[in-house]
Formats: sequence, structure tokens, C-alpha cells
Amino acid sequence: MSRLLRRYPMELILLAMFVGLALTAPGFFTTGNLMNVLRNVTMQGIIAFGMTMVIISGEIDLSVGSGVAFSGCLTAWVTGALTPSVGPAAAIAAGALLAMAILFGLGLLTGKLRQMFAMPSFITTLGLLAILSGAANLITGGFPITSFPGWFNFVGSGFLFGIPFPVYVFATVFCLVAFLTNYTTFGREIYAVGGNLEAARLSGIDVWRTKMLALGITGILTAIAGVIIAAQILSGSATAGRGWELDVIAAVIIGGTSLFGGKGRIRGTLVGVLFLGIIVNGMTLLNISEYWQLVVRGALIIGAVLLNHILDRRTA
Amino acid sequence: MTVDLTCEGLARAYGPVRALEGFSHAFARGRIHALMGKNGSGKSTLVKLLNGAVQPDAGRILLGDQPVAFRSPADAFAAGIVTVHQELSLVPDLSIAENIFLGRLPMTRRLGLGVVDWPSALRRARGLLDGMALDLDPAAAVGRLSVGQQQIVEIVKAMSFAPRVLLLDEPTSALASNDVDLLFRLLRDLKARGVTMIYISHRMSELFEIADTAVVLRDGALAGAVAVADTTTDAIVDMMFGETARAARSRHARLVRGEKVLEVRGLTRRPAFADVSFDLHEGEILGIAGLLGAGRTELMRAVFGADPPEAGTVRLFGEAVVPGPAAMKARGLGYTPENRKEDGLILDRSIHDNLCMASLGAIARRGIITAAAEAPFVARQIADLSIQVADPAAPVRALSGGNQQKVVIGNWLNTAPRVMFFDEPSRGVDVNAKQQLFRIIWDKAAEGLAVVFVSSELEELLEVCDRILVMREGRITAERDPSRTPLAALYAACMGQAA
Repeated sequence: MSRLLRRYPMELILLAMFVGLALTAPGFFTTGNLMNVLRNVTMQGIIAFGMTMVIISGEIDLSVGSGVAFSGCLTAWVTGALTPSVGPAAAIAAGALLAMAILFGLGLLTGKLRQMFAMPSFITTLGLLAILSGAANLITGGFPITSFPGWFNFVGSGFLFGIPFPVYVFATVFCLVAFLTNYTTFGREIYAVGGNLEAARLSGIDVWRTKMLALGITGILTAIAGVIIAAQILSGSATAGRGWELDVIAAVIIGGTSLFGGKGRIRGTLVGVLFLGIIVNGMTLLNISEYWQLVVRGALIIGAVLLNHILDRRTA
Repeated sequence: MTVDLTCEGLARAYGPVRALEGFSHAFARGRIHALMGKNGSGKSTLVKLLNGAVQPDAGRILLGDQPVAFRSPADAFAAGIVTVHQELSLVPDLSIAENIFLGRLPMTRRLGLGVVDWPSALRRARGLLDGMALDLDPAAAVGRLSVGQQQIVEIVKAMSFAPRVLLLDEPTSALASNDVDLLFRLLRDLKARGVTMIYISHRMSELFEIADTAVVLRDGALAGAVAVADTTTDAIVDMMFGETARAARSRHARLVRGEKVLEVRGLTRRPAFADVSFDLHEGEILGIAGLLGAGRTELMRAVFGADPPEAGTVRLFGEAVVPGPAAMKARGLGYTPENRKEDGLILDRSIHDNLCMASLGAIARRGIITAAAEAPFVARQIADLSIQVADPAAPVRALSGGNQQKVVIGNWLNTAPRVMFFDEPSRGVDVNAKQQLFRIIWDKAAEGLAVVFVSSELEELLEVCDRILVMREGRITAERDPSRTPLAALYAACMGQAA
């Protein structure tokens, strides 16, 4: 039992919380509510899987919240501009691809600045947080762009075989990133680069390419999340995704990934994402005020990291 | 002879590992006691008990005839026991003076406020440095100094506490011969002032030079204590290893010189070295000798491309190459760095992962890699290098220095290199593991591997290498044949005197 607890602490806490809420929170353990929880965590979850790679590689991306708004707004704008000539479906696809390409490029740029000028990714992405937010507002002019056709709502809110469509995207991204980190040279290199940059470099690993790719992939995933949320609200809004960077990073940290780099698991991030989603949902069902929810969530983040630390030291 | 420090039945276990089991010995005052024993014999634990870093499970420590109980390093410090650690504990961005007086900078009052008295701090630091005839600027940042100079600053710092007992944990492991001489001068000076010193080193020759007694540990207990003047290297080795005795020294099967594999011409990276040219042949073990700061490590790093050279050419297998770790690895050249913990290993990751770090690309198929695909590579190095490991999934941090070094080497051997640079591979490694490392290098050279071997220990170079280049002040100044060069002559060549 204690070995189980030591190996899967967050999984067991998640399970205990799930059972506790199922017993106490009215309406928690219903298919409708659980699907709702899942749909709510998908967007941040998709980004969190990328963020896990970034943090393991020893970097950070603070710009993801604005990236969500930017990509939603850009997609909406491109859709509005191109629909008359190529039709809505192709226009949406063009907008989404453009957003992905731009955020991918910005991720690479963040890594490149780190390499060329030793510019911390913390600073670059802090700047991008403001720049992308400004850009989103410039695109929309301050008002949501409602250029999407009604059917596009399916991407954000539709159900396929009784499961919300975004959950399929979420599951696919999870599988891809889990495969990437566990079974590819790129994945192994992320850990090496974050664990000891100099040792990795002297082992002939292209450390900067590895970091740039991790940041770039997170950019793509951020754009995907931005498009899904735009579909959900059927518009491009400059306020979408505001403050998400902290929730995303919190999910990664709760999942046991070390902010110092070199340590972490995608599976842990999945647990962290579900953990945060269930807590918010459970507290809402228990009629706990939003202010208390913030306090509890903050305390849980600290508690989870503390727990991971203590268990780490015990096993070391 | 008065006894200064007495250990009575000291015991300490870490979980199931009994590091020290009843160590007793009386250390005489004003003497230099060499603490010897192979890795895992309990030396480090004994030092930690004496400096209060850990507490004994049983037994007691007496200072003079007073029993003392140290609950923390601060207690030991207050009692006059000061430690100079193997790993440097200086703050690189602070000046020498600040490092010496860290946490106890002299203060003065200005405008009713307590402020640091910088003139006094610099003056006192200058005084300490001058007192030891050291030509260092107390205002210089420690990070700018060579490792050897940093070690000296560390010792100056320890001495500034006017210690009663000084614990020295491998103080010379990073020092070249001239710095060692300087250190020994400092130690003799301290001895004359009645300071009791406990000195840990793996360099046997130094112990005969500096120590009064050899205190040998084996399996966590005292194996024997002898006056250095009355003993021999063999006797000490027998005490350290017990019944297993000394391994018969293997003779290196020298190959006929093979084809030229590496050609370096006019390589320059100022201020470390300039206009360096040399060749390396298949199956050859080329040693590079020199004092600390002669540019040996910098040269290796530049040829490998860890730091790019400013000028000059490197040809590998006849092909001109722009140095760079990835480019060199792809062409069959590997490099094990001098600081294995900082630059060679990911300490928190597993032995398995560390053994496959450089060879990920070679093991993977189309970028996809599994633990199963890596397993044979891991198993081969563990077997070939006889790495003592219970579980390859354990973090490499848990291994002893010698085994860690083998992991660094194994990481590179997995890339199937044809040229290897070994930079100080035997640093901080016990006598047994050292011989194993040499044998690995000889065996690989016999299979055709071309080796460059850098070491601060001249005896090692003479034992291991086929040919030795001497570097001095950033240039290659001499070439020696080890079979016909006495140690003193090689030392003289490093110092720049005619042999």
C-alpha cells in the first residue's frame, strides 16, 4: 500500500477526491457532468502536454494564454476575409493553419533568442504574452469577430458517440505527446537537455534544436486549443484564454514535473489536468464561492508540489 | 606526543548500508594524518562525523580530553574543526575577499548604519594572500580564476578561521604539480603552528611527501595506522584492500603505429592556447602533460568543438572538419569531460539513460527508440566496463566516483568511436577503479581506438601512454617517449626546465 502511495501519489489523491465528490457533491457522478468536466479541461490540457515538454527541457512558455486568444481571433478574421472566395471550410482551415504556423514560429524564435543572446524564455514569452494579447485586440478591434458558420460550433461543443468532440482531440494529443516523450530520440533529448544542458551538448545532442522544437510544438498545440475555444464560443474573442498560462503551468507542476527541468511525465500532467478540472467542478457543485475556489486551488498547487518533493526525497 | 582528536567506536549507517562500524583512533596534535581507503571504505562518512554534517549512531569524539557532540557543522566549526571540501564551495561571482569573509565581512559604522568595511576586507584578504606568498588580487572575481587557484582560495579561506583541526578532502584532485607544491608549503606552515590535519587523497606519492602517519580504513573500521616513514606503498595498498591484494599491473600491448586518424594544425583559442599542431594514429595512446592552466583541457574541448577554435584546422580521417560536438560524434570522435558530474552526467537520471545519451541517434530507428532497443547497449557497457550496479534504472548519482566515470566512458563507447579524448578520467577514483579504467583504455587501443589521454598525474601518463606531448603556457613544447623518460624529467619538461 505504501509503495503504491509512493509511486502513484497524485493518482491516488485524484481517485480519493473523485470518490469523495461522487459521494458528497450533488450531480457530480452523472454522465452529463463528467462529460462537462472532460470538455472543460481539454483546451488547457492540450496546451499542458506541450508545456510539459517545454518545462522538462528547462524552459517555460508564459505566452500560451494570449496565444489562445490570438489564434482564435486570427482564425476568425481569416475566415471572414476568405469565406466569400473559397467557402467557410477552406477559410477556417487556412486561418487555423496560419495561426499554428505563426505560434510554431514564435516558439522557435523564443528558443533561438535563448541560444543566440542567452535570453531567458521566461522573458521572451512574457513579452509575447503582451504582444499576442495586443495583436488579438488589434485584429478584432475590441469586438468579437463572428464570422464562423453555425456548423463550426461542433468542433468546440459537439458530441461524437456521446463524448464531446474536443475530448477526441485531447486524447489524440495526449497519445502523440506521450509517444513523443517516451519513444523518440527527441523525447529522450528533452530530458537530457533539461537534466544537464552541458552534458547533453557534450554528448553531441543538438540542445537548441531540442528546446526550439519543444517550444514550437507547444505553439502549435496552443493554436489548436485557440481554434477549439473559438468554435465553442463561435467567435474570435481577444479575451479568450486570459490567465490560462498559470492554470496550464499549475497542471504540469501538480503532475510532478520539476520546474528545474529534466524531470516529469506526460501521464502526470494528465492527472494534473483532471485534478484541477474536478476540483473546480466539485467545488462549484458544492456551492463554494468562486473566491474560496481560488484559495483552495492555490493551496492545492503548493500542497501537491510539497508532496512530490517529500516523496522524491524519501525515495532518493 | 599529545593527542588532539580521539574517535571511540564511531559508527554510522545510512539505511541498510553500514558506512562506518566502530572506528577508533587517536590523532596526534600538529601532525598530518593521511586518511586512506578505497571508495566506500567510510572515509567520507568519518569526515562528515568529524565536521558535524552527520551524527554518529554510536561512539564518541573527544577534542583534547573533552567529549564533544556536534549537532551541526556550525558546532564543529565553533570547536575549531574546519573542512576543505573536494568540491569547491566558492561563490563564483564574488571576489576573493568576499569569499574568504563570506558571512563575516568586517563592518564599520557610517552615518549610524552598519556597512561593510571594504578597505579593511581587501586589506585583510591581501594580508592572508601575501602571508602565503600568493600573487592574487583580492578584488578579482573567483569565477575568473583557474580551478587550481580556486582551490587555493578555498584553503586560504579555511585557514582564515585559524582552525585547530583541518580536514582536507582530496584538496589536490584538481591541482597540477606546481599548485600542489604551493599547497604543501601551506600545509607544512600550518603544521608548524600546531594544527592537526586529516588529509584524504588518492595520490599515493603525495602522502609520502606530506603526511606523517597513514590511517587506513577498510570496510568502515580501522585497518591500521602506521608512520609514513616506516612503510611502503605496497604495505598501504595491502591494508586498503586486505586479502584481495594488488592487481598485477598489466603490460600494455603496444601496437605498431597505425594510420594517421587525426591531424591538428595551428589550432588557436586565445588566451588558452595558440598554434598547436599534433597528429594522432590508430591504436595510439597519446598523453598530454602539463601544469594546470597549460591549456590541455581547453585544447581538447576546442578539437572536439565544445568551444570553437579561433584559427587552425582539424582533419579527421583525412577530411577537414569544423569542430562541434554533434559533427565530431558523427565522424567517430568522442570526449569525456574533466568534470564528470557537471559536464558528463545527468545525475538524477538513470544509469540506463546516461549510458545511451550520446548514442540515442544510433540506437533509434527512424527516430523511434524503446527501452528494449537500448537494453543491449546498456548491458554491454555494464559488462565490458564491469560497472558495479545493482539496477540500471537507479540514478547515476548513487554510484561511486569510479563507476560514474565508467558510465561517462560507456556513454561514448556506445557510439562506437574511433577516436576518444579522455580528460582526467582518473580524478577522484580509487586505486582499483583507476587500474580498471587504464585496462579499458589499453584494451580499446589494442582494438584500434586512437586515444588522447589528459592527466594532471604524470605517473599516470607514463604508465598509460605510448607517447606524451608536453604543453606549457598554451603551446606544445616537448614530446617524450614514456618508456625512456623518468618522472623527474617529465616534470621538469612541464615546468619548462631543460631535462
